[in-house]
Amino acid sequence: MVTKESIEVIAQSIGLSTLSPDVSAALAPDVEYRVREVMQEAIKCMRHARRTTLMAHDVDSALHFRNLEVSSSSLLLLFHTVDPDFDFFLYSLPLAPKVCGSRELLRTEIYTSSMTKMSSSRMLSKLLYQMHLLMHLFSHWLAIDGIQPSIPQNSPLQAISDLKRSEYKDDGLAARQVLSKDLQIYFDKVTEWALTQSGSTLFRQALASLEIDPGLHPLVPFFTSFIAEEIVKNMDNYPILLALMRLARSLLHNPHVHIEPYLHQLMPSIITCLIAKRLGRRSSDNHWDLRNFTASTVASTCKRFGHVYHNLLPRVTRSLLHTFLDPTKALPQHYGAIQGMVALGLNMVRFLVLPNLGPYLLLLLPEMGLEKQKEEAKRHGAWLVYGALMVAAGRCLYERLKTSETLLSPPTSSVWKTNGKLTSPRQSKRKASSDNLTHQPPLKKIAVGGIIQMSSTQMQMRGTTTVPQQSHTDADARHHNSPSTIAPKTSAAAGTDVDNYLFPLFEYFGESMLMFTPTHELSFFL
Amino acid sequence: MDPEQINEFVVGYLKKKGFSSAAKDLESYHHQNNNGSSFTSVDYHNDPELTKLIRSFSQQEDDPTRYREGYSKLRSWAYNSLDLYKHELLRVMYPVFIHCYMDLVGKGHTQEARAFFNSFRKDHEMVHLRDLQKLEGVLSPSHLEEMEFARSLRKSKVNIKFCQYSYELLLQYLHSTVSTLMLGIINEHINFQVYSGQPTSSSDDIEAVTIVGSFQDTANHINQKEIQWGLLEDSLEDRLEKTGGLLSDSEKGQGESKDGDADDSKKRSTEIGKQGSSLKKLKKDKAGNATAKVARLETITVSPAPRVKPELALPVMSTDVEQSILEDLRNRVQLSSVAMPSVSFYTFVNTHNGLNCSSISHDGSLVAGGFSDSSIKVWDMAKIGQAGSGALQAENDSSDQSIGPNGRRSYTLLLGHSGPVYSATFSPPGDFVLSSSADTTIRLWSTKLNANLVCYKGHNYPVWDAQFSPFGHYFASCSHDRTARIWSMDRIQPLRIMAGHLSDVDCVQWHPNCNYIATGSSDKTVRLWDVQTGECVRIFIGHRSMVLSLAMSPDGRYMASGDEDGTIMMWDLSTARCITPLMGHNSCVWSLSYSGEGSLLASGSADCTVKLWDVTSSTKLTKAEEKNGNSNRLRSLRTFPTKSTPVHALRVSYAFFTRINSTIL
Repeated sequence: MVTKESIEVIAQSIGLSTLSPDVSAALAPDVEYRVREVMQEAIKCMRHARRTTLMAHDVDSALHFRNLEVSSSSLLLLFHTVDPDFDFFLYSLPLAPKVCGSRELLRTEIYTSSMTKMSSSRMLSKLLYQMHLLMHLFSHWLAIDGIQPSIPQNSPLQAISDLKRSEYKDDGLAARQVLSKDLQIYFDKVTEWALTQSGSTLFRQALASLEIDPGLHPLVPFFTSFIAEEIVKNMDNYPILLALMRLARSLLHNPHVHIEPYLHQLMPSIITCLIAKRLGRRSSDNHWDLRNFTASTVASTCKRFGHVYHNLLPRVTRSLLHTFLDPTKALPQHYGAIQGMVALGLNMVRFLVLPNLGPYLLLLLPEMGLEKQKEEAKRHGAWLVYGALMVAAGRCLYERLKTSETLLSPPTSSVWKTNGKLTSPRQSKRKASSDNLTHQPPLKKIAVGGIIQMSSTQMQMRGTTTVPQQSHTDADARHHNSPSTIAPKTSAAAGTDVDNYLFPLFEYFGESMLMFTPTHELSFFL
Repeated sequence: MDPEQINEFVVGYLKKKGFSSAAKDLESYHHQNNNGSSFTSVDYHNDPELTKLIRSFSQQEDDPTRYREGYSKLRSWAYNSLDLYKHELLRVMYPVFIHCYMDLVGKGHTQEARAFFNSFRKDHEMVHLRDLQKLEGVLSPSHLEEMEFARSLRKSKVNIKFCQYSYELLLQYLHSTVSTLMLGIINEHINFQVYSGQPTSSSDDIEAVTIVGSFQDTANHINQKEIQWGLLEDSLEDRLEKTGGLLSDSEKGQGESKDGDADDSKKRSTEIGKQGSSLKKLKKDKAGNATAKVARLETITVSPAPRVKPELALPVMSTDVEQSILEDLRNRVQLSSVAMPSVSFYTFVNTHNGLNCSSISHDGSLVAGGFSDSSIKVWDMAKIGQAGSGALQAENDSSDQSIGPNGRRSYTLLLGHSGPVYSATFSPPGDFVLSSSADTTIRLWSTKLNANLVCYKGHNYPVWDAQFSPFGHYFASCSHDRTARIWSMDRIQPLRIMAGHLSDVDCVQWHPNCNYIATGSSDKTVRLWDVQTGECVRIFIGHRSMVLSLAMSPDGRYMASGDEDGTIMMWDLSTARCITPLMGHNSCVWSLSYSGEGSLLASGSADCTVKLWDVTSSTKLTKAEEKNGNSNRLRSLRTFPTKSTPVHALRVSYAFFTRINSTIL
């Protein structure tokens, strides 16, 4: 390991330039023997300090035992000279302990780095020294009567699986009997509260515990089947449905629970609460809220488990889209579907809702009118659906505008024209939109040039604009001007087909769309 | 043998040794006296082995390749031998290997020695890794002289049990191949114990594993000595059994207050503190449940341990303490595979690798930690329990927790040592702390006064471990200077020095009856010493690496020892035999503890687990299975993994005690 060449190098480093080859050949094995001896002592120190990592002060104390005044850093320095791949050398020593980046070591490494050309990344990793927190002692139950409780202090999943395996093996009990008594009580209480006193603080606390407790995994199958059963039974009981949804949500949010195998049972129940025809019996029941809540639950679930279940998202969207496109379904169902898709993300809206928006609005608008729809509740529902659609479309627009500002010009012009005629019949608009479609490509090409024109014309038209606004628009114009060659192209390539559906939005919803345009874009309209 | 031949040998030998002129003289002298042969025939004429040996002397000996050739031939022969005899023949390989290596080193062929060593070390790494690592560094003849391990190997002979046929096979091979070198090594360093009959099964060659040589004989000799492993007569347990655990016993105990020979090592807690913490209350609840009755019945069925008289003058116990012990004994529950214990786990956070050792007082209320910055810190868990019930929720602001509610530190800081503290243990009543350190001293601290009382100097090297006797007052220490010492609290000089280990003494443990101490050492043996005479009365051979922890069963019959590799061995003290090795841990076993009745053994390890072993069932089973000639392993009952926390110290039915690396939180 220690060659006579390295002895020569060391000799030179301490100023002995004329070392006869015999001497270095004789010294080399002895140096190695001594180093090994010291390291053995150091390892003893390490063992007695109940460590599995060798630290520099272990070597220090080992040297101290032998009454040597050498400090470990100089010894480590020697290692470095001997072998630039210092770690390798140390690993080849008996017992091969890991060497910890202690302070002494650090110093040596910095010192030697100039000699051995240590990589900078390794240096940096050594430099990140531990933060000094004060020591503390706390206690917890590692086991109670030989069973390891599932508390955050114990190592979580392995323990549970170990325990379960051993128990299955030992007595082969049915699944239900594996549940410990406290878990059974927990389940009974939570289900009872969910059905009887869902508004109480007690239930709220139970939900909080469901969300964070690590030991609930054994209960998951029972909870899923409970939710599925009770939803079927209580379709007309709004409070219970809401409580069940909250239960499901808490369970789905628990990071310690492996709910994936039960998702296929749980998801239909949740989707039911989203797009069922009737949720709750009385008109006072705010089933719209329930749908909103469920929609967000569905979305978060898809987000969390989408990568595990590849067909989860497609299946959910398919059922939502199916509901949305079926004109025979009731308005609340449509509402749920729309909300679900909105929660799943704007891309869903862009690809699934917007293309169908025109035809759908044709269906919806009559329901909203006072003359066509006499029933107050239904009209209210229709307006809610309209609002949901509008928000969805508006958010799409907002995102789109934010990403590609230059695309604004053509639609604004069309809006400009049609602004005042929101309530007018739709036929002409359909035509206008198709007009738009056909004219799009050339419009885009001239977009950059047009913008300057636009802004100037706007300023002319709105003579009353104040000075700061003016400067703002100027800045905008300049901003658009400078990257003129690249920006339009890329954005045009990115979403031509989507944009096709974006432009008619102003026709469908009119001025209310303006709320969704980014603020500085609004300056065009002011 | 021809005189001419002898002349030839002698001349050859002289030449080889460099006495060329002497050789010439001798030659010419022989030429002169060619006719008159003055040599008388000696009896070695008809000893072919000797002839070969003599011939080997005259041969060109300094040819290092011969070792390699000889060894590799022998190796391939042994590996290709009949399966039935193979494992016996393979046993020869290791001693031959290391002696070949040392011969080469001794003759100064460093390079060849290293090459030889590296090419064949794989064969032996499985079993002899540590020895090989030690020997690897030996590179010059002076190292051989200097290194104790190598010296003892050179001096002693290895005992190998061989069946008749294997022995004949080996001899036949050595003769037929005329490999005098191998023959020489085998003759010189191996002592064959030939027995007639079939070769033994390969499993029970524990003795073949360790090379101790003549040491084995002394060990066998020492192990013949008689030991009194029984419990002390008239102990508190004794009295409790007699009275059947009646409540009236407490009055009785009061009457006999002058009697101090209480055996309190068996009980789980020495003292039920007046300031009962939540922790202790839980314990008591558990202790009070119905299994107690079952326990009593079972203990009666087991043959009671014999009673012995104490050889030391033991301290007198106060009535109060005795009372509480009796109370606790009555409440004790039999732990078994059915009635599993609860484990409370104390975790140190943010120690920055500074925590060297830790221990828990017998009643579980105090926790002491010894640190590499030479400080000792003592925590009162009762106070922490009150103040820090919410401590677990807020792990982040640990800085707040370490300062107590009154703005004080939550621990007592004991400063005095000038080197890393390697052990800190409580006296049985919990009023003293004993600490040992790398500064070669042992210090006694009072937990009441929070001050250092005595500094015991005597060891010349770091003191690895110090343990109070089960009754307090006396304590034992062990050190890097290869001795263990017995001390009493009121004297600053040691009472006894136990010398005999061949390497560091790493751990020490008292026998429940106080008449013996056990020491575990880096020489891979455990020894039992008589406290009164200071003699070694038992040597336990079988571990393959340094012994790190020891525990004595409460009835004094068995001992468990844990080593660096994670093996735990159960020993029968009277026969000095290993009952069974407990395999399961894969890193250092740092602590071992028996349950109050000796039915369970708990082990804590660096692999971040606590394991419980059912000791009773296995010992019974072994007895049954001994007839079948099977060796079986103790059943591992439960494994409790921790959150990447190495387990430092443990006390059964109390806390398993740990350190957590600061990086985790």
